[in-house]
Amino acid sequence: MSWLARWRLALRLLVRDWRAGEQRVLAAAVVIAVAASTAVGFFTDRLSRGMVNQSADFLGADLVLESPRPIDEAWLTQASARDLKVSETLQFASMVVHDGALQLAGVKAVQPDFPLRGELRTAPALYAPDAPVDTAPEVGEAWLAPRLMQRLQVQAGDYVEVGEHRLRVTRALTFEPGQAAQAFGLSPRLLMNLADVAATGVVQPGSRLSYHYLFAGPEVAVDRYRNWLADRITPGHELVGVREGQRAIGSALERAERYLGLATLVAVVLAGVAIAMAARRYSERHFDMSAMLRCLGASQREVLGLFLPQLALVAVLASALGCVVGWAAQYGLLYLLRDLLPVAPSGTRAWPILAGFATGLVTLGGFALPPLLRLRAVSPLRVLRRDLAPLPSQAWLVYGAALIALLLLMWRYTGNWTLTLAVLAGAAAMAALLGLLGFALLAVGRLGQRQVGVAWRFGINNLWRRGWGSVAQILAFSLALLAMAVITLVRTDLLDAWRTQLPDDVPNHFAINILPEQLAAVEAFFDTHDVPRSQLYPMVRGRLTTINEQPVQRAVTKEAQSDNALNRELNLTWTMQLQEDNRIVAGRWWRTDDRGQPLVSVEAQLAERLGIGMGDELGFRVGGQAFSARVISLRTVEWDSFRPNFYMVFPPGVIDDFAITYMTSFYLDAGDKPLLAELVQRFPAVSVLEMDQLIEQVERIFRQVTLAVEYVLVFVLLAGFAVLFAALQSSLDERLYEGALLRALGGSRRQLRAGHLAEFALLGAVAGLVAAFGTELLTWLLYTQVLNLDYSIKWQVWILAPLAGAVLVGAAGFHGTRPVLQRSPMLLLREG
Amino acid sequence: MSDTRLNTIIAARGLGKRVTTAAGPLDILSDIDLEINAGESVAVLGVSGSGKSTLLGLLAGLDLPSRGEVLLADEALHLLDEDGRARVRGQHVGFVFQSFQLLPSLTALENVMLPLELAGRQDARSQAVELLARVDLAARETHYPKQLSGGEQQRVALARAFAMQPAILFADEPTGNLDSATGRRIIDLLFDLNREHRTTLVLVTHDEQLAARCQRRIHLDGGHIVAAPVVSR
Repeated sequence: MSWLARWRLALRLLVRDWRAGEQRVLAAAVVIAVAASTAVGFFTDRLSRGMVNQSADFLGADLVLESPRPIDEAWLTQASARDLKVSETLQFASMVVHDGALQLAGVKAVQPDFPLRGELRTAPALYAPDAPVDTAPEVGEAWLAPRLMQRLQVQAGDYVEVGEHRLRVTRALTFEPGQAAQAFGLSPRLLMNLADVAATGVVQPGSRLSYHYLFAGPEVAVDRYRNWLADRITPGHELVGVREGQRAIGSALERAERYLGLATLVAVVLAGVAIAMAARRYSERHFDMSAMLRCLGASQREVLGLFLPQLALVAVLASALGCVVGWAAQYGLLYLLRDLLPVAPSGTRAWPILAGFATGLVTLGGFALPPLLRLRAVSPLRVLRRDLAPLPSQAWLVYGAALIALLLLMWRYTGNWTLTLAVLAGAAAMAALLGLLGFALLAVGRLGQRQVGVAWRFGINNLWRRGWGSVAQILAFSLALLAMAVITLVRTDLLDAWRTQLPDDVPNHFAINILPEQLAAVEAFFDTHDVPRSQLYPMVRGRLTTINEQPVQRAVTKEAQSDNALNRELNLTWTMQLQEDNRIVAGRWWRTDDRGQPLVSVEAQLAERLGIGMGDELGFRVGGQAFSARVISLRTVEWDSFRPNFYMVFPPGVIDDFAITYMTSFYLDAGDKPLLAELVQRFPAVSVLEMDQLIEQVERIFRQVTLAVEYVLVFVLLAGFAVLFAALQSSLDERLYEGALLRALGGSRRQLRAGHLAEFALLGAVAGLVAAFGTELLTWLLYTQVLNLDYSIKWQVWILAPLAGAVLVGAAGFHGTRPVLQRSPMLLLREG
Repeated sequence: MSDTRLNTIIAARGLGKRVTTAAGPLDILSDIDLEINAGESVAVLGVSGSGKSTLLGLLAGLDLPSRGEVLLADEALHLLDEDGRARVRGQHVGFVFQSFQLLPSLTALENVMLPLELAGRQDARSQAVELLARVDLAARETHYPKQLSGGEQQRVALARAFAMQPAILFADEPTGNLDSATGRRIIDLLFDLNREHRTTLVLVTHDEQLAARCQRRIHLDGGHIVAAPVVSR
């Protein structure tokens, strides 16, 4: 038979099979799998692009190049050639004068298109309600941070002098992208037009200037340009991308992506289970056909040649349909959440479609192929002896194919091997464990069946009789329940963890540059006004210069040479009290007799990046003076906590003699904002940084993550039901026949119905118990190994999972077995 | 077709089938020697469990014997793999079964076309139409097996069995699922077709009356051939 004829025949068989309803279940499962994965793919793609964008809002661009001097023009030409938008800013510190009052300000001179991402917010007057603006200061104008206006006693409409130039103050600047990126050591902001800089006369040889070049454009172009730049920049330059831009946002994004990936993975794996079940049923229903074809002279290859093209066609068509459904589902969701979602870059990207197809094919290949390959091995003797089934597919084939499919899918969704392997190892070990547990529970039910009524006996009997088939279903249902339980738990616990990190009174302001002689007065100020604040930390600015007497640039790896911490002054502090969210991971904290000893505690991530180990001798330079200290402990730090945190902490008595200022963070209600004015009026040297804007953004991102996760959860649920119905379908033939027999023997419909209800409720309850056990195990693994959350026994799961299982599986099973009650027993027996 | 028509077309020598059961090994067939000539019609008779269907499966190459060998249309079946035996079946053998074994997802016409299509015949459709007309089912071409009565289904199966003009037709209790009147009509049709196509017929049945219509009868009892005129050299 030629391949063309075979395809033609396969196509005709497919059409006829389809008409007879044979492949609909399989196709539906594929559609659900692909729809779920594409919808999630489209959505997460949009969401993560939106979130990246949101982070870009903070940076004011997709990529920023910082340089102490103007950069090579060719670099900018290169950016424009790559269709990137470029905007230049110049930052410098300058005294701003108004009516005889002087104040050091952080001046930022910008071009009219600043910022490239995100927006400026301004108010027409000091502490008036603010709103976004889509312009930058005009030539001759200046926008001042409220703090600066306060200190200089400036109103909108007044003039201030910057260097030799007079600028008219037109607005109060309340939010500016990029302000958090260098939150510390900043004087209050004055925003002006770049065209006015020359007139100020500030730019002189030797003046400390910082040129910031902002780039924005399509992700791919930005990435390529970034790589291009990375090869050219020198140690004086610094590249800041969206991810490095914000530590807090960065780590939230990372968690969100990981979490969405995990949820997607569970949805797809569940759909895979449904596909495996549907394929198995399809295969078994075609044993006769295969045997007959063999009888008629078809070779094994020809038999496969008839079935596989059908599978391929179903795969392609169902995947296409799934993509369309997923695409539509994504729009429905975007519509529902249009007010909450970040503005995503326009257009639908193609990769979720490709990935959807790939997911469909991989899932189908991994889960459907092994059962279908059995069709090849059907003995022709089956035409004489119906009971002859081909040997089950070899275990390595089934599990190997599913394993490869799983690994591929996991790699695609998580891109994280720790997570992948944790989930996979957990799943494999758990499948075995849970299967045994399910079997044991069935055995217990079997022992108890004498004590129950006829319906329950019928149900228990049914489950027990199907033995490993029932265990397989219990496994599938428990996997669905387990996934839902784990996801719900991880979701709530992750959010709780985030919320605990961001309590209601999370510090929303930093006060820095508190002079030692004002320390007591500042403390008293906070106390009289009942402002909650963190400890006051002394701060010395210094550079890390040597590691074990080697210059740092030579002591660290090549990648670490550009590390931010090596190219700027660090804030050094001392304290006897370990900060509450810091944790010692190596070595020990100070003892009383460490006072005055040259010892230092280093932040663990920095130590890892720079290759600093316990006992290393670190050299520092503060002002003109050098000193060294031995590393005695490594600390982890919660950078997301918005409390003052330090890379380097010394015991008291080591750096006390250098020029010190103090810093603290504190919480102010929006209504208490005028206190800020009082604070800076009483302590003019103190700089206050308002973090509430940034915190609000972080919380908004978390809320978006919650919504996204709940959305993905819906797909997990759908996939769970797909499994449920596929499992039901695979036993339906048998059930139809038994039901007909029972009714022929005088069983009433009510008895049958009660029996079904009992069977499926029991199945669901057992699956729920198994799921609760698995949930404990998996959350323990995930929490301790991957997500770094605290683990505790989840009692509520032990009650809710069996209950939910009984209700859901009971109802669905009851619904799915209706045909058993509806079909005439006579008809069934004749067909059977 | 085959030029062995006037000679031995099926030969079994020392044929035996042993299966392993919970109670130990069980011989379903033992020491079967027989030869069937081209064009001959042979009935295999015996009660349930006497090994009739097993013998048919072995002779047709659907299964392999535990001992002995089968030559089918000059092909030594035990020397071929499953695909090789499938090729022999496709070329030389037609089947009629007690349970009809029509593919439920194909129409009557498509069921008849199937072996022709498998053999890559371009005229599959016209041949099948002709055959269906021959079994008086021209009006039922587009019907699915479910929509046909038992007798009609068996007539479709007959049309399918003769589609490839096989040298040998194996029939396993072809009237077992039919009432006696319908069964008689089917048997008439079977023998008519057999005559027209000059096919060798191997008919497995427990019905003496039906067996009487064959040229030769082989009796099986407990897996042995008993009191039957075994042709031997």
